[in-house]
Amino acid sequence: MPGAPLTEAERARAFALPKKPAVIERQRLAVRYHVEDFDVRDRPRRFLEAFAAILKHTNYRVALDHYARISTKCARCAVKCQIHEATGDDRDIPCWRSELLLAVYRRHFTISGILRGRILGDPGLTDETVAEMADTFYDCTACRRCHFECPMGVDHGLVTHLGRYVLSEIGIVPRALAVSTREQLLGASGNTSAIPVPALLDSLEFLSEEMQDEKHIAIPFPVDQEGAEYLFLPAVSDFIMEADSLMGIAAVFRATGDSWTIGTGYFDGINYGLFYSDQVLEHVLRKVRAEAERLKVKKILIGECGHASRSAKHFYPMFCGGAEALPVLNIMEYTHRAWREGRLRLNPDVVTERVTYHDPCNVARPGWIVEQPRELLKAFCRNYVEMTPNRRDNICCGGGGGTVSIDEIRPYRTAIGGRVKADQIRTTGAEYCVAPCANCKKQLRELMEDQGMDCKIVGLHDLIYKALVLD
Amino acid sequence: MEAWIVFARGPLFRLCFSIMVLGLARVLWLTGIGIIEAYGRSDDRALAYREIFRQTLGWALPVGRAGRARPLYSLTSVLFHLGLLLVPLLLQAHVRLWQSVIGIAWPVLPAAAADGLTLLMLVTAVGLFAGRLADRRSRAISRLQDYVWPLLLAVPFVSGFACANLTLAPLTYQAGMLLHLLSADAVMFLLPFTKITHCVLQPLSQLVTAVAWKFVPEAGDRVAATLGFADRPSWAERSRLGGPHS
Repeated sequence: MPGAPLTEAERARAFALPKKPAVIERQRLAVRYHVEDFDVRDRPRRFLEAFAAILKHTNYRVALDHYARISTKCARCAVKCQIHEATGDDRDIPCWRSELLLAVYRRHFTISGILRGRILGDPGLTDETVAEMADTFYDCTACRRCHFECPMGVDHGLVTHLGRYVLSEIGIVPRALAVSTREQLLGASGNTSAIPVPALLDSLEFLSEEMQDEKHIAIPFPVDQEGAEYLFLPAVSDFIMEADSLMGIAAVFRATGDSWTIGTGYFDGINYGLFYSDQVLEHVLRKVRAEAERLKVKKILIGECGHASRSAKHFYPMFCGGAEALPVLNIMEYTHRAWREGRLRLNPDVVTERVTYHDPCNVARPGWIVEQPRELLKAFCRNYVEMTPNRRDNICCGGGGGTVSIDEIRPYRTAIGGRVKADQIRTTGAEYCVAPCANCKKQLRELMEDQGMDCKIVGLHDLIYKALVLD
Repeated sequence: MEAWIVFARGPLFRLCFSIMVLGLARVLWLTGIGIIEAYGRSDDRALAYREIFRQTLGWALPVGRAGRARPLYSLTSVLFHLGLLLVPLLLQAHVRLWQSVIGIAWPVLPAAAADGLTLLMLVTAVGLFAGRLADRRSRAISRLQDYVWPLLLAVPFVSGFACANLTLAPLTYQAGMLLHLLSADAVMFLLPFTKITHCVLQPLSQLVTAVAWKFVPEAGDRVAATLGFADRPSWAERSRLGGPHS
């Protein structure tokens, strides 16, 4: 599977800093992503204060304590990391990256570290290390594939998440994520793509008309239906970018007849908190809860999006009522169940091209959604092929962990992050690659473009829309 | 020399053994408390017990999964652990020693099997050291203790094997036995302060990770308040998400 080594030209392109030297000088932060200006004074001290506050109020300490004690540095994670495979750079070894934060923890938050620091005169965290963390924690796609190969059970994805969280509390966070979050939580539109409600309604009306033309049947997008079974939350960008996925989902509901609704009070499944801040994660989920309560729905249904699904499925019960919280499910689960119950008819003669399936990390890695989309695809795609490796051991698209939203690092994502993925897709010879995740779709389309490949990247419901027989 | 041997297998052994047991009990206790506290702070009590158990057992007996990454190194490690664990616990002479300390005896390994496992451990210890040294990725992340441990662990095995199997002059035998005892004592003494705590902590890793992903309600707000942002959420503050600093 490994491709050719990275050429000098590719490396130069992928790692070129798109920021102006003057900005780097002012922010003292030579990272590839853009950040807005922030307070650069006394950065190590402020990093430690933020770290201390986070350790005090959260559950990370037990993991850091454990990982700091038992990590055996066996380098098995390096073998499994697609970033390291692409660059061959020691700094891309997951264990190397995690050690940056673990070393700070040991030195400043354990008795032996503090004593050793005093005795040996170790000054502790430096500005250079903060800058190094700022850079390297956003080189990782947080795909957590390495976690499955660590005999000691170290979860480098958790450490990356925490490292980014601490950095964000001192102002170091990719501007793309910060601006979207601010719009979602404080802006007038209340969503990450800044789509106003009238534009949403226009878009839904247009899609309904499209379906009327194509399928000759009325397929509605219910809006603000109080008491509906499902509150539907896709990645909000789908309303602009993924018309076919949305039409497929609406068509599935037309076929099953179940009640669902899109809420105009809140209609964004995206949750960048998963990538850099627990506070953002919780505040976004509170908006979901408020909308679910307003519309008195029974379940929360997330669209084709890996991180949106995981952040709701895994964290909604934690922040919104524990055992009493509304159930969360992904649209693929819903469609799969409807198909198993015989409520969907899929025509096997429509999609004749070779089709492969890309597992989004956030839904496949926990083993949550692995077989459901495969069973659906095999039911109507005659020429279905698997990528290798696949399922829980899948290769990340290369834009995970929020990096896909950072446009200025596209060369890095397509030359480094997605390099192994491109080889994997190329090997299948597929014409369609089904990637049921908004992040993966964007990344893989850019990857195909930059790598000169012509495989079409689609959602699961794009193909279902083609094959679904509606009466 | 004789007096040193008596000291090394008597008071010093008891001291080092106690430090090992207490040290391991301490880290086990701290981790256990950490898990309970973390779990208690979360509102979501659901844990994927089956998955946690499956992964824990899978790594405790990594027969199927060891070869998935760095297969030669990983297989060497598995064999190394086999000798490392079985010989100290099941060698006849050791069981007698354990019996004299804690008063309990258990079945022993046949001498030939013990010798075979000892040789296996020694070969694989050198293999682990060489494997770490030879691999660039390993070298990039290794600390001093990562190189020292396989060699340090080999010392009591080499000296013990020599004393048990070779015809040695009395003085050489005594020197070998002293080395055997002192190195074993050193291993026990150092063990709880190093990565070797994984001998008791590793089975808790999956559970630790699972509870660490259990986030605490309103923790993010409390973090912001602690940092002086009580009146507004931290993501609202442009100087913290970016923006001109005040």
